[in-house]
Order: sequence, then C-alpha cells, then structure tokens
Amino acid sequence: MVEEIITSGRMTPEVDPILHIWGWEIPLYLFLGGFAAGILFFSALFTLQNKEDRYSMAVKVLPLAVPVLLALGLGALFLDLSHKRYFWQLYTNIRWESPMSWGAWTLLLVTPLSIVWAASWIEDLFPKLDLRYDWLKQAIHMIRDYQKPMAWALIVLAVILGMYTGILLSAFNARPFWNSAIMGPLFLTSGLSTAAAAIALLARDHAERSMFTKIDLVLIAVELFFIIHLFMGFLASTQVHIQAAEMFLGGEFTVPFWVWVVGIGLAVPALLEILELRKRGVPTFVPALMVIGGSLMLRFIVVEAGQASRWLY
Amino acid sequence: MNNKYMNPYLAGFLLGIVLLMAFFFSGRGLGASGAVKSALVYGMDKVAPTHTVENAYFGHYVADDANPLNNWLVYEILGVIVGGFLSGALSRRLKLKIEHFPGISSKRRLVFALIGGVLFGFGSQLGRGCTSGSALTGMAVLSVGGFVTMAAIFGTAFAGAYFFRKNWIG
Amino acid sequence: MGPLVPNEVIGANWNFLIAFVIGIGFGFVLEQAGFSSSRKLAGMFYGYDTVVLKVFFTGAITAMLGLLFFSLFGWINLNLVYVNPTYLWSAIIGGVIMGVGFIAGGFCPGTSICAAAIGKIDAMIFIGGIFLGVFIFGEGFPLWEKLYYAMDLGAPKLNQVLGISGGFFAFLVIIAAAIMFWVGEWAEKKFPREEY
Repeated sequence: MVEEIITSGRMTPEVDPILHIWGWEIPLYLFLGGFAAGILFFSALFTLQNKEDRYSMAVKVLPLAVPVLLALGLGALFLDLSHKRYFWQLYTNIRWESPMSWGAWTLLLVTPLSIVWAASWIEDLFPKLDLRYDWLKQAIHMIRDYQKPMAWALIVLAVILGMYTGILLSAFNARPFWNSAIMGPLFLTSGLSTAAAAIALLARDHAERSMFTKIDLVLIAVELFFIIHLFMGFLASTQVHIQAAEMFLGGEFTVPFWVWVVGIGLAVPALLEILELRKRGVPTFVPALMVIGGSLMLRFIVVEAGQASRWLY
Repeated sequence: MNNKYMNPYLAGFLLGIVLLMAFFFSGRGLGASGAVKSALVYGMDKVAPTHTVENAYFGHYVADDANPLNNWLVYEILGVIVGGFLSGALSRRLKLKIEHFPGISSKRRLVFALIGGVLFGFGSQLGRGCTSGSALTGMAVLSVGGFVTMAAIFGTAFAGAYFFRKNWIG
Repeated sequence: MGPLVPNEVIGANWNFLIAFVIGIGFGFVLEQAGFSSSRKLAGMFYGYDTVVLKVFFTGAITAMLGLLFFSLFGWINLNLVYVNPTYLWSAIIGGVIMGVGFIAGGFCPGTSICAAAIGKIDAMIFIGGIFLGVFIFGEGFPLWEKLYYAMDLGAPKLNQVLGISGGFFAFLVIIAAAIMFWVGEWAEKKFPREEY
C-alpha cells in the first residue's frame, strides 16, 4: 500500500482554485477597449489643437471605427459572461467599489459619444453625401457646434477607459501578478501606442505618418519604462509578488513575454521606427503591425499570467 | 552606415563570435533547416495529425502532443528574420525584388531557386543539417561529419558550377 | 561555468530568448556580409566574389579557436557542447545533394531566410522549395532509411581521428584557410565583377 501523507487541507482542489476562466474574450475586450480609447484620445487632442485638417486620419477617419471596435469588445465581454441574461443588471447597480461597474458606466458614456463624435465628421469626410432628411442635417450641424466641448469630454473619458482596461485587472487583489498600480498606466500607454501605430499605418499624408511614428516611439519608450518598473516593483515586494514576477524571469512566461511582447512588440518596432524616420526605406506597415500585434499579445499574456499567479499560503 | 557590405573578414569574425556565444550560452551551434522542419511538422500536424504522428521520420516531433515550434532553432530563425530585416533597413537594402543575373529571365531564376530549395531541403535532412547546422557548426566543434558535409557541399558546388554557368555568368 | 544553460547557470526557460537574440546577431551578420544576395553567394563558385569562403572560414575558425580557449580557461565544458553525430554515407550524399542545390538555387537555408527577410522573392521561393524537400524526405523516409543510418561513426572529432591535439589541428585549419583566402583574393582580381 502506498502511504500518502496529507500535510494540508489545501490539497483539496476547491481550496486553491486555479483561476482559469478567462479565455480569449477578456484579453480581446481589453485590447479593443484600449485601442478605441487611444483613437478617441488622439482624435480629441488634435481637434482641440485645431489640427483636424492636418491629421485627418487620426481626427476624422479612424473615429468611424471606434463604435465598431467598442461593439466588438463588448460582444467579446458578453460572450464571457456566465449569466448573459442579467447583463443589464450591471447598469442597475452602481457599486462604487467595483471596477466592473465603473467600466460598464464608462462604456455606457463613451459608446454613444463616440457615435456622435464620428457622425460630426461625416460631412468633412463625404462632402458629396446627400443626407436626404433635413432633421438629420440639422442634427449633424448642431453637434458640429459642440465639437470642442465634446473633445474635452472625450479626452477625459478616453484616459479613464484606457486606464480602466488595466485597473480592471489590478483590482484583483487575489492575483498577485495583476496587483500592481502600474497596470493601469501600462495598458493606457499600450492602447495609445496601438492607436498611434494604426494611424501611422493608415495615414496617407506623409507628415501625419511621421508625426504618429514619432508619437508611437515616445509611447513605446514609456511602455518599456513601465514594464521595467512593474518588475522592479514586484521584486521589491512580498514573496508572492516576487514569485509572480519570476514567472516572467525564468518561468513559463519568459519566452512569450520577452520575445513576443518586449522584443517583437516593442523593442524591434522601435528600432525600425527610428530607421524609418531616418528614411531608410522601412515600410511603415512593418513596425506598425508589430506594435499592434505586440499590444494584443501583452493583454493575452498578462491575463493568462495573472490567472496562473496566486498566493502561497 | 552606408549601403556597402561589411568587410568579409570582419563579418566572418563577428559570425564566429555569434556562433561561440551560441555554444557558450546554449551548448549548441547555429542552424536553419531544422526550423523549417519544425514549421513543416507543425503545419502537417494541424492538417493531418494521425498521418504525422505515424510518419517514421516526423512522428517523434509531435509525440505526446509536443509542439514542434517549441524549439531552439525556431526562435533562432525568428531572430534571423528580425536581424536580417534590421540590417537591410540600416543599409537601405529593403526591396521586394527577384535578383538574378541579367542574362536570364526572372522566371528561370525562380524555377532554379525552387529546384535548389527542394534539393537543399532533402539533402539537409539526409546530411543531418545544412550549411549552418552541419558544416559551420560541425567544423567549429571539429566534428568529422561537419568537415565531410562541408567538403561535399562546396566540392559538389564547385564541380557543378560549370553546368549551371548560364544561370550566373552567362 | 559554460555552457550556461546546460550547466543550469541560466534557467532553461531563458534558452529560447537567448536563441532569439543569437538569431538576431546571426541574421544581422549574414545580411551585412552580403549573404542575402544569391549572386554574391554563387560568385564563390565562379571566382568573381569569394565572400562566402572568407566569411565562412573566418567564422568557423573564430568559433573553433574561441571554444579551444574557453575550454583552456575552464570557461566552457566541451563535453556538454553538442557535437553532430557522423553517419558517413548520409553526410557525403546529403552534402552532394546540398551542393547541387546550392549552385542551382544560389542560397543555403540560413542565407535564404535572411534574403527573404529583406524582400528577395527568389529566396522566398527557395524556402518554399526547402519545405517541399523536407516533406519529400520525411514522406519517403523508409526508402532511404538504410542510407540515413549507414556507417554510424558516433560523434568523432577530426583531430582525434588524425591523432593530433585540438590546438594543432586548429593551427592546420588556419594555414589551410590562409591559403584559400590568398587564392580567393587572387581569383577576385582575375575574374571581373560587375556591381549589383
């Protein structure tokens, strides 16, 4: 007979559940949310600077995609919910202490505003478009008058939305790897960087492309700074946090994180962007797609790693 | 940096240092064809899993649900693509083109490239490694096989050069 | 001390990251040397451009000497460094097939990947060919299985076979390389090369 010594009640599977309930839906939702926030941020920012004609891809065209991105993101979130029929209850319960509640309300404000915002640029983008109905024309003319105040509101909401995608995770105190105040700023920066890369990728105007390549370069530098500090913070913290960081420093997430996120998603595109700005014939789409792919990867890995990290005792 | 190529002896020295670092860190040399094999087996496993597992040569790469892409050479080749691209960007050599001797058509060049690739793919499996994995790495560790493969590759290429001269020098 | 990963000085999970970084160095050097051009590579066999010879042998000798010195200083345990096994017949015949592939295609696998990275379409086709070649080899494996395993010599080192020390052997390789470099330089002067 094989003798088994039970040293702890923790061996019961229900005591230490390995949280593995978030698949692809949540990281995709976080990515799309951050991406949308980034687009709205730049669109609003350059509207306030009166540069809407100079940076037309950023200010006028890409916001058209935002409602779609948000809808896709919310769709992914919806798929993840276990009780789909009670989705609406997120809106009947205001809970100050719940980041989910905050996020739901932010999205409730951002989504309609982003549709109105996109509509306000319709006439600029399609001057020959005949809107047919007079009330629609009047409505669009009316919202055009409010572009500046809307832009102010959007900047604030975009930052909140971008931050929220990270704070949603860092609010989980039981998951040491997510439990860092840097997650919010990191995800915000990453979302802004994704948007800047997308603008650089799609912009037809050379000045706009090189402007957003420069912006992206700065954002990548900030992101790298946050990542270094994220790990410094963990390593200077308690044993559980050190163990959470070690998943990335010799553990199972080492290669996916450092090769795919930091290498191919940040450092290499940054080098390529420098070469591109120095006119070495680097096609813009290469670093841009690397940045976008890297930021998607970042969310997948962070969500996955957070679920794997846990308290020891 | 301008678009001239590096001094070959300096490049060779740096290549040697890279190879030495591979030995020093990972205890193994460089390679290339192995990564192609991994990618192929990965693809085959997705398309026809049973067939791949049962294959006498490829089977053990996917035994026990192993992922053939979790392989040193796969990550090394990923690096080669990045490093090559960076170098090409630095020296302004990024350009989509078919390079060939002006005396032949692009089509002819591509046909011969395909034939050459097939032969190299086949030969590298039989010879347990290509120019990087078997010849270069093997020579550095003084392996008999490395020297034999190196001599066979370069000897045959020299001997065959006459028959392929129309493709390269007219 | 070394090799660091097999000796567990560095954790095994770092190994692929190291592979990635080493690969970047490998690809960068290959491209800087001009190995991303099939015409430059093929030039070797017509004497108009012997860069392959120079880079290849300088590289092999540098690594060879580096290993010998590292081992001498006790920085690396050569017993933990992988030495390719030698199966004589498959090495020779495989090498011959690769040699024909080289002169026909103008690339070898490593250089073709590097060339494809900077946009050479012929290199991409060559890589497609490698996939096909590996596929043919694997699918028809029973046909050449005997040849593949014939004359298994283990993993011998050439200096041991010749009964001389590694250092002296490396010295001989350097002499041989120096002669080849001299011939190469002479050939490049003799056979004119156009700029490409």
